Order: sequence, then C-alpha cells, then structure tokens
Amino acid sequence: MEGPSNAESSSKDPVKDGWNPDINQDEAIIAQQRQIEKDIADSIKLVGDKMDLSFLLSEYPDEDDVYKNKIKSLLKKYHLLRRTRPDGNCFFRGFTFAYFEYLITDAQELDRFIDVSNKIKDDLIALGFPSFTIEDIHENFMNALNSLKTKEVSNEEQLLNLFNEQGTSDYLVVFMRLLTSGYLQKNQEFYSSFLDSGLTMKNFCSHEVEPLNKESDHIHIIALTSAIGVGVCINYLDRAQGDQVTVHYFPDNCDPKIYLLYRPGHYDILYLRKDDV
Amino acid sequence: MAGSPLRRLMAEYKQLTLNPPEGIIAGPIDEENFFEWEALITGPEGTCFEGGVFPARLVFPPDYPLSPPKMQFTCEMFHPNIYPDGRVCISILHAPGDDPMGYESSAERWSPVQSVEKVLLSVISMLAEPNEESGANVDAAKMWREDRNQFYAIADKLVRKSLNIPV
Repeated sequence: MEGPSNAESSSKDPVKDGWNPDINQDEAIIAQQRQIEKDIADSIKLVGDKMDLSFLLSEYPDEDDVYKNKIKSLLKKYHLLRRTRPDGNCFFRGFTFAYFEYLITDAQELDRFIDVSNKIKDDLIALGFPSFTIEDIHENFMNALNSLKTKEVSNEEQLLNLFNEQGTSDYLVVFMRLLTSGYLQKNQEFYSSFLDSGLTMKNFCSHEVEPLNKESDHIHIIALTSAIGVGVCINYLDRAQGDQVTVHYFPDNCDPKIYLLYRPGHYDILYLRKDDV
Repeated sequence: MAGSPLRRLMAEYKQLTLNPPEGIIAGPIDEENFFEWEALITGPEGTCFEGGVFPARLVFPPDYPLSPPKMQFTCEMFHPNIYPDGRVCISILHAPGDDPMGYESSAERWSPVQSVEKVLLSVISMLAEPNEESGANVDAAKMWREDRNQFYAIADKLVRKSLNIPV
C-alpha cells in the first residue's frame, strides 16, 4: 500500500518515514486513520452471519485460563454469536439488529415500538433539534419499521440485507443515537451527575451520542434501554478475576430481549441456547 | 428505502429558499447535480468583512448527511481559519475524532442533524470571530494576533474586491 504512485491523494499520504515539511501531518494522520477504517470495513460486515460461539475458544491462547474458563461458562447459556463491525457503532447497530430480529417475531411489541418511535420525533423537536433534519431521519426509521410491519422484511436474510446497506444501516443507527440523546437531555437532572464536572448534557450529547462512530458507554446503554423500554443483558468477557463472565442487565432486573457480548471496546450479539432453531 | 442524500439535499435547498437566513444565499450550481452548491456569504455587520459578498463552493459526499460537506471559498480570502486555497476549516465540518486542529472540545461538530444552513451560519460567525487556536492560514493567524490593523486593511481590500470596487 506504500508507494509514490498514489497520485490522487499525494498531499494526504499517510505518514511515511521521516519528516516531510510539504505534508500536512494532521491530514496525513487522518488519512491513515481512514485507511485503517477502510481495511476493517473491507474485512468485517456491518452485521455478520451467526457463527458457532465456540470459535471464541480459538481466539485466545490455550494457557489463557481466565478467558478459556469464562468462554466455557458462556457456552453453557449461549451457543451462537453474530459479529458486528468495530466502527464505534457496534453497540447501537448490534442492539438495533437484535431488537429488529425480535420484532419480527412479536407483532404486539412492534406496534408498541412504532408508537414509541412516532412520539419521539415531537420530543426531539421540542428539545430544539431542527425539525426538517429530524423529520428526514425519523421518516427513514419509520420506513424500516413499516417494512417489518408489512412483512416486506420478515426473515434474517432480509434483515441482514437491510443492516448491511451502509446508508440505510447508518440512518437507523443515527435515529437510535438521537433517541438516546433526546432521553438524556429530557432527563438531564438525573443523568448530568454522571458527567465530568463542567460538561453540559447538551454538549455531551452533541459530541458523544449524536455523531456516528462514537463509542457507547454505560450511560448510552442505560438511556437507550430506558427510553424505549427494552431490556438488554450484557455479558462482559474480560480479564477480571473469576471463571464466570460478568453479567449486567439494563435496566436493572429487566426481562431482556437482547443479549450482547462485550469484550473490551466491542459489542457482538449473542443467542441463547433455548432459542435454538 | 435508504436515506436518500438527494432527497435530503433537495429538502435543505427548499428550506433555505423559503426561509433564507440573513446574509446567505445558497443552492446547487446546476439543478441536475445537487451535490455541488454555490453559496454567497455576506460579511457580517460590524466586522472587518462587513459588506463583502464572498462566493464559496460546497461539495457533498455521496453519503450526506452521514458525512459532512466540504466547503471552499472561490474568491481570495485571508482569514486564520481558511486555508490559502480557500478551504474552510471549522469544527462543524468535522466529525468528532477528526481533530486536525485540536479544536476546543465545546465547539460544535458534524452530525447528521446538522444542515447546510447551520454550516453557513457557523462560517459567518467564524468570519466575525476567528478561532485563533486553529491556524489553517498561519500568516493570517499571526497577523490577526499581532497586527490587527494590517489585518483589517487586507480584509477591507478583499471586501472591495468582492464587490468589484477599485481598491
């Protein structure tokens, strides 16, 4: 990938050996970052196919007891995993995909969610978001929900197509992000106490929640699940002591519809053994 | 059923035509191609750019509004946050993370709820109040800091030039 032949972006070449004063180093760093993102995008689908969870065992060295034991404990409850692309949207995209997968099987819940999503538009406009950009994003989201309702999208393959079309998929993520931002701002009295001092909720949302590719933290997860009333169970696979994964439910004590695996920095979707088809 | 960049741009154009913000005219150069716009920005009142009318070009990416547009003045400009080739360097044209100039963290960033109008309004504020921290044009930034009167004199020349008034 090195080489002077890359004429069209000669001023944006990634940082090479040594210092070249003709190159804008800041732009070069961004260009390099873009290249890394592109390499990831080329190799990992936005939402992948289900795979046997036991493949995780091969991702860690045999002598790594902490991980091996935790994966074995995970395998007792779950048997399949669906990878998402690590692009900073993995929580939102994984959550939304898994939820849509559930919605295909539950018409009543779909109607409830359509209702919730419809109301959110006015909430967002009331919070001061520009109405015509919100309408654009909202309309796209509602179109997707309607395609579930009309059964135009009614199976896993069609959902995968929907979520792997970058534009459509990102628009769905954007709406979920806005919905999360709206909930945080509406309930800022409570949630502001989780922010670093001096940071306003509006500022936090416009920098850490609304833009695509910004990674999610607990606060995003709590807000999203509370905003739409859908529980998620997250299994934390990390180097912490013990031979079981750490399990958290959001909101607390919920009956989860969505199961996720968290490995430091990334979320994938998990499938329970009882859901076996 | 993908979010249609074209439809969004048409909606933004309509919005800007029906409710034009003060000092801004913007629209596609050719209605056959909504991904390239021309904008005319009026220098804000009470600033050294007052009265000038500065043309700029906006180019939208194929995944707009997921990614931000790019903006470049097509007239001569001299300003700390405008590159010598006319490209505009302000935070709203960057997503968080793309931080070439180390913007202060409170500055507004691109996200899909932003719009052409918001960008152009930010450019007007930028003309009124340069961000000294982000030196896209180092000479202009230095002059703005150290020799304000000379900066004003150059700005005045640019204003006259933009109106075709002999300097």
